[in-house]
Amino acid sequence: MSTFDQELDARGLNCPLPILRAKKAITALDAGKVLKIIATDPGSVKDFEAFCKQTGNELLASNQAGGAFEFLIRKH
Amino acid sequence: MAKRLKAAERRASILAVAKVLFADRGFHGVSVDEIARRLGVSPAVLYRHFDSKEALYEAALSEIACQRESYVEAALGGPGDFGSVLLRMTRVYAASVARDPDYLRMEMHSVLEGAPAAQQFFESRWKSFTDFIEVSLGELAPQGRVARVDARSASLMFQGMVREALYAKCILKSPRHKDIGLDDLIEQLIQLFLAAVGYQHS
Repeated sequence: MSTFDQELDARGLNCPLPILRAKKAITALDAGKVLKIIATDPGSVKDFEAFCKQTGNELLASNQAGGAFEFLIRKH
Repeated sequence: MAKRLKAAERRASILAVAKVLFADRGFHGVSVDEIARRLGVSPAVLYRHFDSKEALYEAALSEIACQRESYVEAALGGPGDFGSVLLRMTRVYAASVARDPDYLRMEMHSVLEGAPAAQQFFESRWKSFTDFIEVSLGELAPQGRVARVDARSASLMFQGMVREALYAKCILKSPRHKDIGLDDLIEQLIQLFLAAVGYQHS
């Protein structure tokens, strides 16, 4: 997976907690910086697609690895 | 003879009929043969789209369940504090049930039919709420922003409260609550819930 500036561990959390935490984390980042999120909720794949669509941030990557889901989001 | 339909149209027509029958009589009260008969096709046509009656039930459930995108929109569309997010998400859920009360009827049947079906509803519908409530109360209590209440009991209280309101407004059309709209009722109940857990808005 590519480089990132901050990591958010959302394992064990279900919607809406991962997206609320991601919103808070990304708000603190400067534009262009990348947030990595690790989640275990299978619904998080759709959730982060919707998150980026609604917040205007860019979903750089969405991968599944070892029972967890990893997302890279670049702040717009 | 049934008109020939495209695969997507056929799938949609199967789900529409199945949903009404499952809502009316529950999972065990409906057979694949009966759904096929209502559609004017053979059971083999149904099995081309769904592997089993269980798969058909699950698909009917997903079809009418509130879409996750709506929850993401509700979670992000306003202030991010616990009380505001809970209110917006509950409103979205209540509105989705009001649009299609068959979902609620299927849930009522699932409770009678036993643990696996009821668990499926809990996982697909209520767990987002109960997890959100339990985790949030656990985080807010040390900050003094909620009372030290048992979070699991509080989430059960929320579930019972909302479900009863939905029964009253969407299924029973209870005259006791005829003077208040569902959305306003939900707002009042959420305010009561937040007061009960001693929620202090930051």
